[in-house]
Parts: sequence; C-alpha cells; structure tokens
Amino acid sequence: MRFTAIIDGTIGSAVEQARALAGFLEEGLHAGAPGGPPGRPWSGLECETLAFYADDREREQLIALAPTIAVRLVRAPERRPDLLAATLAATAGEDGPDLFLFTSGQAGTEVAARLARRAGGSVLTGALDISLEPDRLLGRRQVYSNHMVGRFALTARPWCVAVDPGWAEARAPACEEHRVLSESDAIADASEPPFADLKLTDPPSAGDLAEARVVVVAGAGAGDRDGVARIAAAAERMGAAFGVTRPVAMNAWAPMERLIGVSGARVAPALAIVAGASGAPAFLWGIERAGVIVAVNSDEHAAIVGEADAVAVGDGVAVVEALAGLVAPPPDHG
Amino acid sequence: MRILVCFKVTPDYEALRDADWVAGPGDTVRSRYVRRVLNCFDESALELALRLREALTEREVAAGLGALSVGGRETEPFFATLHALGYERAARIEPEAALDYAPAATAALLAAYAQRFDRSDLLLLGSRCGPGDSGTVPALVAEELGWPCVTQVTEIEPTGGGLRVTCAADDGGLSLTVRPPCVLAVGNALVSHLRVPTLTDRLARRDLRADLLAPGDVGVDLAVALAGAPVTLEGLERIDRTRAGVVVEGDTPAEMARALFATHVEEAIARP
Ligand SMILES: Cc1cc2nc3c(=O)[nH]c(=O)nc-3n(C[C@H](O)[C@H](O)[C@H](O)COP(=O)(O)OP(=O)(O)OC[C@H]3O[C@@H](n4cnc5c(N)ncnc54)[C@H](O)[C@@H]3O)c2cc1C
Ligand SMILES: Nc1ncnc2c1ncn2[C@@H]1O[C@H](COP(=O)(O)O)[C@@H](O)[C@H]1O
Repeated sequence: MRFTAIIDGTIGSAVEQARALAGFLEEGLHAGAPGGPPGRPWSGLECETLAFYADDREREQLIALAPTIAVRLVRAPERRPDLLAATLAATAGEDGPDLFLFTSGQAGTEVAARLARRAGGSVLTGALDISLEPDRLLGRRQVYSNHMVGRFALTARPWCVAVDPGWAEARAPACEEHRVLSESDAIADASEPPFADLKLTDPPSAGDLAEARVVVVAGAGAGDRDGVARIAAAAERMGAAFGVTRPVAMNAWAPMERLIGVSGARVAPALAIVAGASGAPAFLWGIERAGVIVAVNSDEHAAIVGEADAVAVGDGVAVVEALAGLVAPPPDHG
Repeated sequence: MRILVCFKVTPDYEALRDADWVAGPGDTVRSRYVRRVLNCFDESALELALRLREALTEREVAAGLGALSVGGRETEPFFATLHALGYERAARIEPEAALDYAPAATAALLAAYAQRFDRSDLLLLGSRCGPGDSGTVPALVAEELGWPCVTQVTEIEPTGGGLRVTCAADDGGLSLTVRPPCVLAVGNALVSHLRVPTLTDRLARRDLRADLLAPGDVGVDLAVALAGAPVTLEGLERIDRTRAGVVVEGDTPAEMARALFATHVEEAIARP
C-alpha cells in the first residue's frame, strides 16, 4: 500500500501543516482497528511527501519539513487548490497512491475534496485517526458540532484524508533524512487566474494564545462588552492570555483573533479559567488539553460544570476579578 | 447577478439534553423534540447575500436572490421568512434518503440545480453544517461546476470588476478579488444574524411557496450519486470530556475565588 502526504507550501502555513502530518503519521495512522497500538505501523508502507511551492526560497525548508524520507517537489502558483487537485489527480490511478494525506483548513480540505471528485475516490476530513484494511479505510472524526465521534468507512480509492487540526500539536520527532525523488511543475492552466489583488493582513489567531501557561476565557455570560473588558483586564493582571467564545467574538465584544474553539484557536495551558461559557463541545475542543480547567458559571447545571476540574457557581466577572487579586503577576509583568 | 444561497436547517443541538447524546437506531441522535434552526454559517450567508444585493443595487447592478435547501418539510417556515425578506426564488429538493453524511450527493444536487435550473452566477454556502460537519460541500460544488471557490469568507463587497472578498485563510486574514461565476463559503463572519422581516412583508408574501423538486427533476439519479462516493457511517461514539467538576464553597465572589485559588489555581500555576 502506498501513501502520499501533501504539504501546500504556496501558503504561509507549511510549518503547521508538516507538524500535523508528522503527528498524525506517528500516532494517528494504524494498520489495525482505530485505537490500536501506535508505533509506526506504516513503516512497511511505501510513503512519500509531495510538497508544492511557489517561491524557490521555500524549497530547502520544505524538504527539511517533510514527514517522510522520500520527497517530491512541485512548483505551483500561489493559492490554487484547483490546480493542486488537478496535479494530484494526474498521479492517481492504477499505480498511484492508495492514500493522499492532507491537513485541514483551506490548504487541505478543498484540495482533498476536489481530488476525490476528480479521481473517483472518497474523502474524509477532520480525521482523528484512520486504519488501513486491505479493501477499505476506516476513520473517525467529530460530528454533531463535536458532540459525537463518527466512524466512517471509505472504499473507493484513492482515499483522500484531511487530518484533524488538533494533530498540529502532536510534536512528533522530525524526519531527519530526506531524499528528493523528483522536481516538476504543477499542471498549467491557460485560463486567467480566478483571484486577483491578493492581500494578506492579520495573523490567524493571537500569538500569545498558543504558548500561554494560563488562559482566561470570557463567554457570553460576561453579559456585555464591559463585562468582557473586565475579564480581559483581570487576565492581563494575572499575566494570562485572553480568549473568548464564539458569541462574544460575534458580538464584536472582542476581536475574532481571540476566538477559542473549533473555529478559532486551540490552546494547551497549564491552567484555563473559563467564565460565563456554557461548555459547548465546539468551544471545549479549544481548551480540553489544558492541565487544569477552572470554571465560573451562574448555572450549576451548565455542561461546563462536569467538564471542569473545579467550578464556582457565581458571577463570572466578579469571581475572575477576585481571582486576579490572588494570583501574583509574574515578575516581568509588574 | 443571480445569487443563490444554499442553506440547511438542523435541530438546535445546543438544546439537546446531555442524556440524549447517544446513538439511536440508524446511527442518529434523537433530536426530534428540539426546535429547528438555520445552520449558523448559512444564516450569515443569507444575510450577507441581502447586503450584497443592496450594495449592488446602489451601484445600479441588477441582482436577484435565490435560496435552495436539500431537506424535508421542516425547512418550509424558513423559506417563508426568506420570501418575506425579499428572496424571490426559492427551491427545496427533497431526497428519497437522508443525505446528512453524503456530501458528494448533496453537492451534486446543489450544483445541478444552480446550473440547470437557476443559472446562478454566484453561489453562497456555509463552511460546514451538522450533523455531518464534513465541510466539503462547497469545494465539491465548485468542482462540479468548474468554478473557483473561496472558503472561510467573512466579508463580500462589490467592486468594479467583481467581488472583493475577505476570508480567514490558514495563514491569516486574506482579501482578494474574484469574478463570478464562483462559489463562496462563509465562515466566521461578523454578520451572523439574519434580519427579521416586518409583519407587513410577511403578510404580503405569505402565499409564496418554495418550488418542491425531486432529485430526478434536476437531472440527478440519487442512487448513482450515492454509489459514486462511497463513504459510510459505521457508528457513533460519545466523547468523554468529564472532569472532576468539584463545586467550591463560598457565598461571595471573594470567598469562591479564594477556594478556587487554594484548591486548584495556585498549584496549577506553580507546576513546572
Ligand atoms: C460549526 C460550529 C462551530 C463552532 N465553533 C465554535 C468555536 O470555535 N468556539 C466557540 O466558542 N463556539 C463555537 N461554536 C458555538 C458553540 O456551539 C456555542 O454556541 C458557544 O460556544 C456558546 O458560547 P457561550 O458559552 O459563551 O454562550 P452560551 O452558550 O450562551 O452560555 C453562556 C453561559 O453563561 C452563563 N452565565 C450567564 N450569566 C452569567 C454570569 N453572570 N456569570 C457566570 N456565568 C453566567 C450561562 O449559565 C451559560 O452557561 C460553534 C458552533 C458550530 C455549529
Ligand atoms: N442539505 C443541504 N441543503 C442545502 N445546503 C447544504 C446542505 N448540506 C450542506 N449544505 C451547504 O454546504 C455547506 C457545508 O456543509 P458540509 O460540507 O456538509 O459541512 C453548508 O453550510 C450549506 O451551505
């Protein structure tokens, strides 16, 4: 069986993509049933990385990032999922890979879906793990807005799988040795490029969230813009990073880059303090890797109560402000 | 410009009780008793389309609005609202089988309607919807039509030669100009609520109904579409996210904060 991992180096997230693929290969790809023992069961498979790049200066870095020894480089125009899909479809077929592995997000999901459609294969996005059987692929992913996990079977090849974004934090050891098998150009397209005047603006999410040791989150229970601002100020006093739930961002009570959850950032602090959030699974996904979760909610029946280590049943703003007074700010903060 | 918005109506999963999150017969979750809502991204798309038409009209560009859903009768009340808001075309395709986990078949129906029936120039979709949450329908529709696709769209504005679109790309906020025909999949747009129609508008358009179509009417053989992309749901599992959930004592915020600090916070912060 053969697989190809795809890195889209024409956009600025190649490092995160490579990390997610490496993490998935280390722990998410099984030869038996999902949940079986890890340990590179795929080492017997023929595997390679196909990296697209738009700028020659990215070549060396992409080779170094590849999660497999064998690497193929393909030069492609920037942000053209349709051309990437066409190029990959040309490699599919009888002697082509059984499995194409992508990351989630724009880089992976669109290309995976387009490729499956072009090559007559099947697509699974947001894969938590997969297992390869002789005649089918079994994979699990979140469904029902993260309330449940579904088990899916894919039969038609190639199997086009985009891995869950959570794999980006798996920190698998890098592949040290690489061999470039080929260099080529993506399938060209004579028609006019569909997008013009591309401008990249702000980063996808606030930089302080990813590495924070303490994160304080304000939910809709903060009540209004003022309540959210008071929780943000308390977070700053504690030297903590500040995040919000979707309704808070949607009300423009805080910038979108502060959003935590499946549609925003995923954090892994030692401590997460969550005030006024009900604990919906789409939000919880963003903080569930925290060492300790402490919640404040006025409703003792809120879902977050069972999802936290400790809970105060009370007013979110008042309790977080009181907590800020007890947490000594770190030396470089005051 | 003929704008078509594809939307889906789902049970309000947040209104489900904790005990209901178990897989019932046919791998579905019992959710009949909760109210129906517009998928959140589709709600943004429906409102963005109204605003886009206003902006186009200001520039003296003629624009028409259509709404399309693949689903059952539960969708009807939402069509009534859309008619009242000025959507002049509306269609519901009722499939013989549930397509919640069949994004390729759903996409085939949406694309066939857009191309053969509606002759749309611009398709607006949401970036994902439950219960399947595949997030692949917009790209599959674009692939069916051979159109470009922009995903995670947050703003749409008309410009001289096309549409200026802002989206949340993997590597940051991105704006670009795209010329219809194209597919736009709406993500975390700040415009997240569909406006409420006036009673007068509701009454004036209360007799309008969405066209009811079968897959065959748009030229799609559903059995073939389903067999063409065989991804089958084999089962559902509950995710266990429970932690200790210790409720701390205290009558005032200060007392509760002290209890949280003493039992959990201080130690968590000190841990290397
Ligand atoms: C496809 C999809 C993707 C999504 N992605 C995300 C995402 O990335 N991030 C995200 O957050 N959500 C996301 N959501 C939305 C998510 O499902 C929830 O709707 C959202 O997390 C709820 O936010 P909340 O807890 O702040 O608000 P609510 O659910 O309204 O909860 C407010 C809570 O505050 C409590 N409260 C009220 N007053 C007080 C007070 N004075 N003090 C303390 N507590 C109080 C209430 O008891 C309640 O529990 C997504 C949904 C979908 C469908
Ligand atoms: N049954 C449906 N009817 C109309 N539009 C749909 C349907 N299913 C999915 N869509 C559209 O496709 C988007 C993405 O859905 P999905 O890929 O299934 O997560 C949704 O936000 C809708 O805009």
